[in-house]
Amino acid sequence: MEATVENIKEVIVEAEVLGNVDEMSSSQALSEQGIDSLDIVNVFLLLEEKFGITIPDEDLSQVQSIDAIVEYINNK
Amino acid sequence: MLGIKNIASYLPEKKVSNYAKKEKFDLDDDFIENKIGVKSQCVKEDDEKASDLCIKSFENLIKKMNIDKDTIDCCIVVTQNPDFNIPHTSAIVHGKLELSQECACFDISLGCSGYIYGLSNIISFMQSNGLKNGLLFTADPYSEIIDHDDKNTDLIFGDGSTVTYISENPLYTAKDFSFGTNGKAYKEILCDDKLYMNGRAVFNFTATTIPKHIQKLLVKNDLEDSNIDKYILHQGSKYIVDTIRKRLKVNESKVPFDMYEYGNTVSSAVPIILEKELQYNYKRLLLSAYGIGLSWGSTILEKN
Repeated sequence: MEATVENIKEVIVEAEVLGNVDEMSSSQALSEQGIDSLDIVNVFLLLEEKFGITIPDEDLSQVQSIDAIVEYINNK
Repeated sequence: MLGIKNIASYLPEKKVSNYAKKEKFDLDDDFIENKIGVKSQCVKEDDEKASDLCIKSFENLIKKMNIDKDTIDCCIVVTQNPDFNIPHTSAIVHGKLELSQECACFDISLGCSGYIYGLSNIISFMQSNGLKNGLLFTADPYSEIIDHDDKNTDLIFGDGSTVTYISENPLYTAKDFSFGTNGKAYKEILCDDKLYMNGRAVFNFTATTIPKHIQKLLVKNDLEDSNIDKYILHQGSKYIVDTIRKRLKVNESKVPFDMYEYGNTVSSAVPIILEKELQYNYKRLLLSAYGIGLSWGSTILEKN
């Protein structure tokens, strides 16, 4: 499945980590938008499950914003 | 039929507040209360050992019921922080309690999953050997191995102990057990000198493995959610308990979360809650514990 800003936001909604994702910036780091370290781990797990990928710990620096996640998944 | 006759626990009075660590670890109250789920941790005295914690939970047990110590013929301690490497802590507990010499004693080296394994072990060992009255202790004083500069562990663990009295005519019997291990991931929670925990790996393990494991145990026993009165889950963190509950699609009221004031007491976490739930006479309980190993185990208890 191709990753888009919209379906990454759907994952964030599914993770129940933010009340409203409509206002989220796709370029800003998730950690700067109220998603804490535990919530981010949950989002990464859902991304792995939804897109059938593995995000190793050493790649975490590459998936800090929605745009970066989209690029990372689509280049997998 | 052997089963759980009674449970008692002990939590040290001395406490350390996580609110005092807010600046050090850049925390807010929401993270402490709703993510970690530990406001303060119980900490034993420096000179107390695992066996001392066991004795204190036994002292609380005999406040609840009369137990003739001469009738105890099995004593098991679940711990990975024993008093010494040699001998087994259960022998030390045996000596301190002045139990009969006709009493089998051994330790079980398991962490978070230890109570479930311990329960299965003590019941089957006693049944196989015609034993009548057993004590299953859990005591894992993590304050001895915590790195106080490590946010992943310093906010979570607390000291405590429990004792479960196993005998005939019990309150609850175990209907079934199920166990699992992923030894390839043993490094994710490791203690060489101080405790290390890969929080992401542990979260992924609990979120993906444990709900399926619990559902499989229910299916195997022709049970569904409506047949379970309470799910007593290992208190890894509030985030982990909430995640497992949501993935199981179980109502929040059926999954107690209790460790706000004492922390994750490792193998004591499940029996500390079970002790409180015994008073409600629930028909059927599901217990599940998971962590170090990586190891997991679950059981279904039924009211006798």
